[in-house]
Amino acid sequence: MILRGADALLAPLRDALRDVPADEADIHVHRRRAAITRYSHSSIHQNALSDETQVRARAIVGKAVGIVQTNSLDPGDLRRALADAAELAKKSRPDDGWPGVAAPEPDPTVASASFDEATSRVDAAAQASAIAAVCAAVPPGMRAAGTSQIEVTEDAVANTRGVARYAPTTMAYLRALVLSDQYVGSGYAEDLSMRVDGLDPVGVAARAVEKCARDRDRTQLAPGDYAAVFEELAVAEILRIMSITGLSGQSVREGRSFMTGRIGERVTGERFTLLDDPTDGHTIAPPFDVEGTPKRKVVLVDRGVAKGPVYDRASAKAMGARSTGHAADPTRYAPGGHAGNLVMVGGEATREHLIGSVEHGVLITRFHYTNTPDPRAATMTGTTRDGTFLIEDGKITRALANVRYTMSALDLFAGIQLLGPQRLARDWWSSNGMGSIYCYVPPIAVSRATITGSSPL
Amino acid sequence: MADALADLVHLAAARGATYADARSVERDHESVGMRDGEVEAVTRTADRGVAFRVIANGAWGFAATDRTGEGPLRGLLDEAFRRAAASASTRTKPVTLAPVPPQRGEYRTTLARDPFGVPMNERIALLRAADAELRGPNAKTRRASVAAYRTRKRLVTSEGTDVSQEIVESGAGVAVTAAKGGARPAQRYDSRLTRQAGWEFIEELDLVGRAARYRQDAEAMLDAPLATARPTTLVFAPEFLALLVHESCGHPTEADRVLEYEVAFAGTTFMWPKDRGTLRYGSEHVSMTADATVPGGMGTFGWDDDGVPAMRTKLVDKGTFVGYLTSRETAGALGIPVAIGSARAEGWQHFPIVRMVNVSLDPGTTPYPELLAGVENGLLLDAPASYSLDDKRQNFHFSTQSARVIRSGALEGYVRGVAFQSLTPDFWGRCDGVADDWELHGFLSCAKGEPLQLMRVGHGAAHARFRDVPIEVRA
Repeated sequence: MILRGADALLAPLRDALRDVPADEADIHVHRRRAAITRYSHSSIHQNALSDETQVRARAIVGKAVGIVQTNSLDPGDLRRALADAAELAKKSRPDDGWPGVAAPEPDPTVASASFDEATSRVDAAAQASAIAAVCAAVPPGMRAAGTSQIEVTEDAVANTRGVARYAPTTMAYLRALVLSDQYVGSGYAEDLSMRVDGLDPVGVAARAVEKCARDRDRTQLAPGDYAAVFEELAVAEILRIMSITGLSGQSVREGRSFMTGRIGERVTGERFTLLDDPTDGHTIAPPFDVEGTPKRKVVLVDRGVAKGPVYDRASAKAMGARSTGHAADPTRYAPGGHAGNLVMVGGEATREHLIGSVEHGVLITRFHYTNTPDPRAATMTGTTRDGTFLIEDGKITRALANVRYTMSALDLFAGIQLLGPQRLARDWWSSNGMGSIYCYVPPIAVSRATITGSSPL
Repeated sequence: MADALADLVHLAAARGATYADARSVERDHESVGMRDGEVEAVTRTADRGVAFRVIANGAWGFAATDRTGEGPLRGLLDEAFRRAAASASTRTKPVTLAPVPPQRGEYRTTLARDPFGVPMNERIALLRAADAELRGPNAKTRRASVAAYRTRKRLVTSEGTDVSQEIVESGAGVAVTAAKGGARPAQRYDSRLTRQAGWEFIEELDLVGRAARYRQDAEAMLDAPLATARPTTLVFAPEFLALLVHESCGHPTEADRVLEYEVAFAGTTFMWPKDRGTLRYGSEHVSMTADATVPGGMGTFGWDDDGVPAMRTKLVDKGTFVGYLTSRETAGALGIPVAIGSARAEGWQHFPIVRMVNVSLDPGTTPYPELLAGVENGLLLDAPASYSLDDKRQNFHFSTQSARVIRSGALEGYVRGVAFQSLTPDFWGRCDGVADDWELHGFLSCAKGEPLQLMRVGHGAAHARFRDVPIEVRA
């Protein structure tokens, strides 16, 4: 994609803001070019590219907020959007909690550069080649399905206090689900990176094939508590539930978070440390949020002790805190701050060590369609898929039918025994854009995971 | 725009495409949100763009843009062909579309009062009135909202279809969270208060009365005793069943799941072609219908995004699985006629995929009081809270916002902590009665596809009774 660049995106915003008929105003622009190629039965069935620009203009009149969204960057349309937002604000009512638009401030740290020029130039033929490489690595008797995704974004924010920021980002993603033609069994693997050369199609295929080859002659696991190994994708799913239920200032304020009334207290085991760190070089993020505030590293849980949530400007004001740069698009995320670049501290345990530490338990590759029946406890329920195995005496011995897991994340992490090295992963929901949470996350071995049911064989 | 769409399609045919369609979409949305009695924000959204699809060398290519000048539109054409060529490099079988005659015409939502024309003061006054009813001694957070949606779209295909549609939807919501002491907070909120209709639907909702009921439910749940884990008779309100139908019948009858187009993300199904006409999905009381013609349905339209006219078909007939939701492509691949056109795209940015239309549990003939009278000891579940399903839509877990005790056919107090997990055919097999009080619900955001597409769908249901369902209880 040809980037429009800082000048082209910010100039019309500055012009439109110059004569805005409001007390304050800001504009956030998000341009996204998404190339998504999906394959099944080792053949591409959907190959789509969309190029869209989303503009969100806020005008504030006497603490009343009007918002207009459009997808035009035409200067006349931007001025009209701000004028319409001001009119909507005048018809609205003052919000005493309005925190004002962001003031300019320097970055607190050197932000990561989440943009790779080569990735922005990947074309349809290159995506098809990556898929062909996956399919070629799948042996006879198995078939592959999955997705290649290349995404290039540009974000720009400007406001009437002089904030003017711009950043491009890139994301490359490849997933493979390998299924057996002869028996009920499947295996899954994926790579996720800011750079297209961070994807290894043959490696992805090999990992998925290895899982699929093991996933035969399934047996059912009785409900109960088991020791377990959670691979990175499974841990990312647990962290998602923590993020959406308990890591925002708003959720703490409204009493919905596991942190409410417990900041400074031990909430889980001391082997669990979690940060939101958009500046970590392993994750993918622009260096500022949709309000133009620089994104900061936030320690959420330190060795089992709750340290505090992330904030946008409104939740920070309500809680007597400072925005941490975690405001997010309100059409996609709940207000009050979004922890979308989670970093869980890992360890050095190899896969063999993790599995070898379990006498009798279960290995979980990933989850499907998780939810939370008890948000305050960060409880997650969900079924496993594409690689659930019985571990006996430190070795994988049987394939298991998918199981339903239901447990508080805090209870799960209280039982961490070993941690492996981190890798970048996303939960099932985030992997197709339902919210976006990047997790730099380790695999873990835990002493107790609660299994509440089994799917049929 | 009409000429530009026709030009794109003609140029594609001239370049050798065996099929092409161009679709323009304009979406407008206005909403007012209130939190704890204060207007949070008034939002207006506009979104416009063009989508273009071709089948060339037997494979799909798709490109979409919000820049509609001559240069970008010509770029669409080139990109769609590049993507088709890339797809063709891996395909072993060409895409085949089930035949549908060319369509021409217009479709517009029937509405009494345009929701975009309702004065802002009137909308805010309604929210204030609802908010007043949400207030209570333990009501910690209160939310209320109204919204209006309008979609204008036009589809032109290389087969001669040229159809235009204008769809208007109205929606509202109220929500309350009650908390007391260290007790677990209780939430009560609407799930599905949307309709393809004008402001008259908002007036029919009785938002103020609903707010009072929700606050009462939430307060009562705070003090309610824990339920007892055991198999029991469950009666579900239509709002709850609408979601159960959606998750456990709508999704597994989507034909693209059968073809494994969704296997790596949304999953597959347990309802395979060999099972049609024989698989016991539920009891004889359970029939389910897909119908894109239901007046007011969020899944109602003139034509789907393949240009297939609105139709109606059975998915489950007296407990037996009989039909699928299909697009022209999936019907062609499965070798079946298009019994219902279900190819839908959220916006111009999206490739049409198989989605639900209005998928409903057919009503029974028993009056609701009579259904309730048949319960000696059980629970009435009003609305879902958390829900989670496996990749085949076979193993599910639901919890509830509120549960009321039924004793000797009468409703008594509340109990809390109720959830249940089940397997789809086992659950629907326990249904021994469906009432005649069928009502329609609308969902705004059924999530599926890559990139994610949030689709409007409709679901009708009546109260229904299920015997001996094991429930689990969480403190």
